[in-house]
Amino acid sequence: MSSALQIAEFREGQVCVLCLSGSIDSTNADDMMARLQQAIGAKEKAIVLDFAAVRYLTSAAFRVLLVATDEAENESVAFALCNVTGQVRDLFEMGGLLDAFVIHGSREEAVSRLG
Amino acid sequence: MKRPPGLLYAVDETPPLATLILAALQHVAVMSNSLVYPVILAREAGLSAWPLIEFGSRSMLALGIGTILLCARNRFVGSGYLCPAGYSQIYLGTSVAAAHRGGLALVCGMTLFSGAIQCAMAPLLRRLRIILPSEIAGLVIAVVGLSLAVIGVRYSLGIARTREIQPIDLAVAGLSLLIMCALNIWTRGYAKMFCILIGMIAGYGFAAVLGLVDLSSALPETGTFAVLRLPNLWVTGMSFDLELLAPFVIVALAGTLNIMGNISTAQRINDDDWVRPEFRSLSRGLAGNGIASMLCGGIGSMGLNSYSTSIGVASATGITSRRVGYAIGAIFILMAFVPAAAVAVATVPTPVVGAALFFSAAFVFASGLQMITARLIDSRKIIVIGFSFAMAVMADVYHDVFATVPPILQPLMGNALVLGTTCAVLLNLITRIGVRKKAILRLEPGQPHRVAVEQFLAEQGGHWAARRDVVNRAIFGAVQLIEILGDPPGGVTLEASFDEFNLDLRVRYRGAELVFPEQRPTRREILDHPEGERLLAGHLLRRSADRITSRTSADQIEVHLHYDH
Repeated sequence: MSSALQIAEFREGQVCVLCLSGSIDSTNADDMMARLQQAIGAKEKAIVLDFAAVRYLTSAAFRVLLVATDEAENESVAFALCNVTGQVRDLFEMGGLLDAFVIHGSREEAVSRLG
Repeated sequence: MKRPPGLLYAVDETPPLATLILAALQHVAVMSNSLVYPVILAREAGLSAWPLIEFGSRSMLALGIGTILLCARNRFVGSGYLCPAGYSQIYLGTSVAAAHRGGLALVCGMTLFSGAIQCAMAPLLRRLRIILPSEIAGLVIAVVGLSLAVIGVRYSLGIARTREIQPIDLAVAGLSLLIMCALNIWTRGYAKMFCILIGMIAGYGFAAVLGLVDLSSALPETGTFAVLRLPNLWVTGMSFDLELLAPFVIVALAGTLNIMGNISTAQRINDDDWVRPEFRSLSRGLAGNGIASMLCGGIGSMGLNSYSTSIGVASATGITSRRVGYAIGAIFILMAFVPAAAVAVATVPTPVVGAALFFSAAFVFASGLQMITARLIDSRKIIVIGFSFAMAVMADVYHDVFATVPPILQPLMGNALVLGTTCAVLLNLITRIGVRKKAILRLEPGQPHRVAVEQFLAEQGGHWAARRDVVNRAIFGAVQLIEILGDPPGGVTLEASFDEFNLDLRVRYRGAELVFPEQRPTRREILDHPEGERLLAGHLLRRSADRITSRTSADQIEVHLHYDH
């Protein structure tokens, strides 16, 4: 059961929503970083990362998310995560990283807060 | 944890005071039925009216304290769920044998011993789960349900007294049962919540009209009858008998399985996502029950257990608040100081008791069946469950034949629960031979590891019928581990092994030993420290597995990731 990372982009008003699906580890974390840097560099007002279809993420992916959060803050781009549930949420909690990000329950909630 | 749709008050919620008291009274009415077992034992021990009432008062006191110990939620004792105590047929057969052999003193001594056995087993319960899996706990619950139904029918038909069906008894039991069923199926709110209590009150009234309630039979002929009276404790003495050790060990084991089944059911009716018992709650519940049974032996009563019928009541009414358990305990403790309460318990007409037992038995039995089928049933389990269930039924059907076996085997063969439980535990141990399965994946240097690991573990998990959530945790663990290993010279070997309780991964490689820190790295360490990402990986591995170890042998390192299943 392969689960390569896929990133789909949606626009909801002034918010750029990136829907991730699959597993995120060192083999594809750079792809995610490149896509995030592209969105941050494009001066988006806000970026929401939707984790609804993510199975798990490793330490490499967590590091990328932390770097992207810092870069977004430097560029004054609002950056948030949503649909962090199940095993993915457990991993955030185990790593003590739930407080390191702005996390919303659902995509609609994230868009309404950031839009 | 997902709240079931029919639940009115969950375990941590507090119902309004009126509902709390009525719910507790309903349980008290149903649980009072279980006082029939101490009454039977007292009669078998030859106690007359006053000693019998005192024995009843002591039993109520123990029941109240036992219920609080079982329902409490703290670090040492208590399941944390609405899991009231009750006297049951688990102790009855063996206790009657002890009473015939050495009087109540021997019953008390052996009850104290069985309570101590349960206290000793409590901290080891997790390790004992291999011999006490949830399907066997389900079997015990189902057999208890069946036994309750059998007793319920005996009482409802009046054959417990006369060996012939009594039309009046049948009419009283029929009316009570009809009201309980109708209120439970076709009404909502209070009527549904208190269907058993209402059915019992209606049955009691009908029985009184028909002349079935006889207060004089429970009142002493001589002496004054005080309104309040301190229960007379520590009057029976205590003795022990080596020949009864084995039967009481089996009773403690059967009681343990009954408790595991009941607490698991209490957990399950509070959580639609329930997949396996939470063992801390089971261990503390068992410790509470062990202490309660030791108390019973100490003050002069018979052993008690978690009361399956009450779990059925909680399931039927949707009120599972732990505070109801505290209220039940307080009411029974108060009742112990009122001799009239013991008299009242002794005068509830047997057909009314029969209807309540028969009604609750349906929920207990169904709950046991659900627990048996909660996991995949393979041929091995079919044999264990099927044979053991049949043996339990046979103990009742061929009771007269089994009474002719040698005396040492009679405690085993004469009780459906003990025979079914013993059979299940032994068959389970025998059929576990060769149950562990193993598969190995060799990852050569330069291979794309993640895809291969995901496929390997997902396929093996499917073949082994392993739980999806555990397999997903194992996939993360393997991928994360191999990620921080990089691409070691000589590649990596991943060995996965499985039985129904354990999923183990062993990753072997050549290279440096890894660190799995207890302390999680800070955000700045992850971002700025050269080893930050590896420290986070090690910490995630330690936290996500149930156990992780690393050892070096020859020139190879083996990391062992263990997941409870």
